[in-house]
Amino acid sequence: MAELTTTKLVPDSHLLLDQPLLRLPHELARKNFKNAQRAFERTRDDTLSSLDNATKATSNPEATLASIDAMIAKAQTLKRKLEAFHTEETQLHRQSRARLQHLQDLHDIPSLADVKYDEWSKVRLDRMLVDYLLRMGYTDSARQLAKEKGIDELVDIEAFMQCGSIERSLRHGRTQECLQWCGENKQALKKMNSSLELELRLQQFIELARSGDMSKLIEATIHAKKYLGAQQDPEFGLRAGGLLAYPADTMTEPYKSMYSPNRWNHLADTFVKTHHGIFSLPPKPLLHIALSAGLSALKTPSCHSAYASSSSNSSSSTTSVCPICSTELNELARNVPYAHHSKSYVENDPVVLPNGRIYGRDRLMSMNEKIGTAEGKIRDPTDLSQEYDEMEIKKVFIS
Amino acid sequence: METLRAEHQRLEKKGNLKKAVDDVQKTIDLLVAARDAVSADPTAASMTLAKLKNPVKQSFDKVKDDMQEVYSAQNRYTKALDKKFKSLNLPTANSDPLTTHPNLTNRAIAMHLLREGQFNVASTFIAEANAKPSQSNSAGVDDLSASSGPSASSGQDTTMEDKTWSQDFAGLTSDVDAMSDGASGLEKSTELQEKFAEMYHILHALRKEQDLGPAILWAREHSEALELRGSNLEFELCRLRFVELYSGWSDPDSMQDSQDPQGFTGPLRALQYAREVFPHFSNRYLRETSTLLGSLAFFPSLDSSPYKQTFFNDAAWEDVASSFVREFCGLLGLSEKSPLYTAVTAGGIALPVLEKLERKMGEVGGQWTSVNELPVEIPLPPSYLFHSIFVCPVSKEQATDVNPPMMMPCGHIIAKESLEKVSRGNKFKCPYCPNESHPREAKQVYM
Repeated sequence: MAELTTTKLVPDSHLLLDQPLLRLPHELARKNFKNAQRAFERTRDDTLSSLDNATKATSNPEATLASIDAMIAKAQTLKRKLEAFHTEETQLHRQSRARLQHLQDLHDIPSLADVKYDEWSKVRLDRMLVDYLLRMGYTDSARQLAKEKGIDELVDIEAFMQCGSIERSLRHGRTQECLQWCGENKQALKKMNSSLELELRLQQFIELARSGDMSKLIEATIHAKKYLGAQQDPEFGLRAGGLLAYPADTMTEPYKSMYSPNRWNHLADTFVKTHHGIFSLPPKPLLHIALSAGLSALKTPSCHSAYASSSSNSSSSTTSVCPICSTELNELARNVPYAHHSKSYVENDPVVLPNGRIYGRDRLMSMNEKIGTAEGKIRDPTDLSQEYDEMEIKKVFIS
Repeated sequence: METLRAEHQRLEKKGNLKKAVDDVQKTIDLLVAARDAVSADPTAASMTLAKLKNPVKQSFDKVKDDMQEVYSAQNRYTKALDKKFKSLNLPTANSDPLTTHPNLTNRAIAMHLLREGQFNVASTFIAEANAKPSQSNSAGVDDLSASSGPSASSGQDTTMEDKTWSQDFAGLTSDVDAMSDGASGLEKSTELQEKFAEMYHILHALRKEQDLGPAILWAREHSEALELRGSNLEFELCRLRFVELYSGWSDPDSMQDSQDPQGFTGPLRALQYAREVFPHFSNRYLRETSTLLGSLAFFPSLDSSPYKQTFFNDAAWEDVASSFVREFCGLLGLSEKSPLYTAVTAGGIALPVLEKLERKMGEVGGQWTSVNELPVEIPLPPSYLFHSIFVCPVSKEQATDVNPPMMMPCGHIIAKESLEKVSRGNKFKCPYCPNESHPREAKQVYM
């Protein structure tokens, strides 16, 4: 039999939502390091080979000097680059440290009933809100909220901003920014078998073919040969080839949808999905996941009932308003499943009024005392118009 | 967690490019030295270059080693991360209500920000959200893949969502009736903002300045509504005021008053205040007001009197402040704590259970969001239970509007469907006691 209530806090499973918090800065640090490594390897290979060449042809001292100068310049560039990478790295490490500390805080909290848990959960909510705002493209709000709450280290504004600007450029019909991003993340894309770049190249092809202009069609063919032909997936080349046979206003599928301007939206969505995949970000805002779970966990059949609930409503100060019944979430929760309960949960010593409303006896009495009902009489706190005789209330049995 | 932190510390200490940068500098030094040598003695250029080759190579190898160290530290940290988050997958429910109702979601967030007093963020957010209403993430995909969209389930809501969401702020506040129907959504969110601004203003006065004035004013304005709710707020505020005057806290005059060596000014002021204000409470709080006045008899040794509780209660201010928040939100029909906060926190607690459920259900191909009732019980802390819950002892089902709880004459309650099943329309014995009754006699009750 499952417990009805719990205040036990199991940090490890509680961190379900917080994996991306640590993953993202780490993925960024790794990418940063790989770039550093690549820069270093290139300079090393260059320097060593020009050193070889210089050793072979030493006839001219001036040429030797010039080639050494070139080597020095390259090494200095490398150093500058590495320094920049190092700065970036330090910042990412600091971010990770702050986040680890934030998660450690949770481990130090003894139970869900602890005040500290409330505080922690508030910070988590703020993080989720910033995450949501960023994903929706409400960047200014996100920045402002992060700043006012002092949680800059715990949110990923830069990463989402970059992602958002590339997404927007795609929605406006530009492939350039996204192609550049693909170039920067080639390895990762290959690893996850992404066809994003091919899709982009295909889009470029479609745009060339759209006009139906002969010279453009030739250009498109060359483009296809260069970018779509040599790839491992022949599907793209085939689709491109087929497209040439149809004008932009064709009704024939799949070419109709290939010409459709909606394909840009599809590309933007694919990009966002790929981006989140690479950086271990969940495809949906964390707020969606947590909130929909929370709505269900809290929802009861009473929350959307046609009858006012006796146990939790805004008309009486003895109860607190249920969050699902509160205006903010009520509509949102309408279509989610309600929580499962295997046992009744009612106030102590329940009694029923003649109108069929059930209250805990103590609460009913103290409420009536507060609203100043006459001695020996009882009023229903949710409907004060009727007054009953105290003798009319009746004990009920709820098992 | 400890391993993870240890690995990260290691990463910060060893896994950085500092050394690599230094070693590149050494390489540069080598090259510069060689250049100087060549320019000093051009004839030995080939010698110098030949001698240069190995040290440069070694120097680069050094940098490579440095990098290797970073790489391995990163890998160790990756492993620690993998281990920490071993089996945790996020539930992937693809039909959550937030995706299909972006406007309602935005509205909930705006209200949360307002109620938390984040007015600046809220106004930025409302502006941004209105300028770019609910980016339809899935629209493009849906158009491509024909009609697999989520629209089917949300048909009835579409009319509502056609309006800008901020218009929903209408009807929120109990006294916006004065506003014309044509008022824009933004104005209404301003309404709500003003409400909460007022709340924060009063709270600030209460908590920070220990000034009861604004709160008492507000309570008096809403006296009737508060009374109907059975709220003590107005009286509690006035009682605190009485105590305040009595002890002469907030009144610097009485402290310095040389004509008042025994400090009688306080109690006198309190008495005067009581005469002004307490008659207003006479019906409901006759006993309390008269006992309060009785305290005058004990002056000045209140700390040994029965009034110790009332006069030396440090928590009184905070109690009044939180009861003020509850009443204020209650009058707006809102819960005292941000519902968004409560729900997200409950979600955080529920998710591990749901994640496990999804893993199990995934095997048979089902999702928890697609049913009417969650298939498992989710234990939450007691403070997260708001409504009474009736589970029929016969059918073990929760009562709903179509299957409401029915009370038999003996006072036992079962669900309507169970009642129909047990009785089959005839006189029947209560499943829990010997009493017999006819289903006609059973009466619907409300929890």
